[in-house]
Amino acid sequence: MFVPATRPVHEEQLVFKGLKQGLTLFVPERDTFGHWLEVLERQLNQAKGFFQGGAILVELGERQLTPDELAGLKKVLAQYRIRIKGFNPVLRKKNNPRSEKRPPASTGVLLVKGTVRNGQRLENEGDIVVKGDLNPGGELVATGDIIVLGALRGIAHAGAGGNVKAEIIAFTLAPVQLRIAHIFSRAPEERKGRQGPEIAYIKGEKIVVERL
Amino acid sequence: MAGRVIVVTSGKGGVGKTTTVANIGTGLALRHKKVVMIDADIGLRNLDVVMGLENRIIYDLVDVAEKTCRSINKALIKDKRLSNLYLLPAAQTRNKDAISPEQMVAIVDELKEEFDYVLVDCPAGIERGFDNAVAAATEAIVVTTPEVSAVRDADRIIGLLQEKEIYEPVLILNRLRPDMVRKGDMMDVDDINDILAIKLLGIVPDDEEIIISTNKGEPAVLNNQSKAGEAFRNIVRRMEGEEVPFMSVNGEPGIFGRFLKLLNGK
Ligand SMILES: Nc1ncnc2c1ncn2[C@@H]1O[C@H](COP(=O)(O)OP(=O)(O)O)[C@@H](O)[C@H]1O
Ligand SMILES: [Mg+2]
Repeated sequence: MFVPATRPVHEEQLVFKGLKQGLTLFVPERDTFGHWLEVLERQLNQAKGFFQGGAILVELGERQLTPDELAGLKKVLAQYRIRIKGFNPVLRKKNNPRSEKRPPASTGVLLVKGTVRNGQRLENEGDIVVKGDLNPGGELVATGDIIVLGALRGIAHAGAGGNVKAEIIAFTLAPVQLRIAHIFSRAPEERKGRQGPEIAYIKGEKIVVERL
Repeated sequence: MAGRVIVVTSGKGGVGKTTTVANIGTGLALRHKKVVMIDADIGLRNLDVVMGLENRIIYDLVDVAEKTCRSINKALIKDKRLSNLYLLPAAQTRNKDAISPEQMVAIVDELKEEFDYVLVDCPAGIERGFDNAVAAATEAIVVTTPEVSAVRDADRIIGLLQEKEIYEPVLILNRLRPDMVRKGDMMDVDDINDILAIKLLGIVPDDEEIIISTNKGEPAVLNNQSKAGEAFRNIVRRMEGEEVPFMSVNGEPGIFGRFLKLLNGK
């Protein structure tokens, strides 16, 4: 029997939600972005009047947009005088992490391209890999492992659900605070001279740090 | 072609945003660009004082937003020295909620048709005043001093700018004291770039000439004797696309040689 590869466009709906940060459009991670653009265009057309004007947030989960995809999205929204005021409010959200669940990650690994800066907090059910630094004031929370390919200088919490086997790895490990499962450790005051990748894990009831 | 809209911001107060706007605004105007500076620090205005234009204010930003004055041009104050430089002052007796980001966008959209540069002096903080100042900007200059707290705030601001779709802000490091850097008592450019990792637009030395010029209402960039003035002239040239080596503040290439590689970002 012939099974269509994608669901027919007319059956699907994108979800808009009123989050604390503002009206948010959720774009699922499955299917192509072009597919969802079609869905969005049809939906906005049907809802004419309701969505006229204003600024929205867009939640993409782990999806990364190409410049063309971004331009396409902006163009569709602009027809209804809607502007994008930000991305991934759920991922970036600082407070009550559990009040609004974001759609489950497709792979279990959250890949962050670039630096996690002061005031940014990322969470993932699964592992987090940062292709950049975790700066002071930035925070990562993962139920699995945390890997920072640059310098880890902020707060990292691995094994957040209680997984004591979780690990934290960084090319330069200079955290403000590490936490694995229920165990905390503050940064030792003086760690100069330690260079190169290190790994933190639970041994006994303590977090230990070793060269990788 | 519409002009460039650049917000000058920092998070922390007192690091030199207003000084920067006054100097690069004046510097760009010296190069015959048509420039308007918007003081978005409603309630704490002082760009007018730094420019020596306080006594000419009749209408302000809020009057324009509320359409109390008939046109934007009525509220624009022409500079004393340069006829192609204008200031749109902040309201002093109102607060940041007196205008909305949408109103700001509308005002700037009108101005950028007429001006080559629209420079927005952002208030300290990350709330409404920041939202207003950033709303219409497509570029940002982040100002920091070489202090841990200022650098942390700058980092926060860079993250927030990303959320406003300003992905490539540039950095001005203000009030650097080479003598202190050399003794190891002050963060140097490498330390700061390690954290912020954005392109460096310029380094402005700590210079008492800034204080004198602020009191006189005459930006240091007009003063050929001032080191800070020279730094701002270089910054303006870089904004205009020129490759200008970073100057050696005290004739010592050691520390400042390293700035060169930062020109291209990290
Ligand atoms: N490079 C400098 N050297 C000496 N003093 C400076 C320098 N830059 C700024 N200042 C002084 O620091 C103070 C704060 O500067 P200002 O531009 O008003 O900061 P902001 O607008 O960020 O609050 C002012 O008194 C100013 O004269
Ligand atoms: Mg100021």
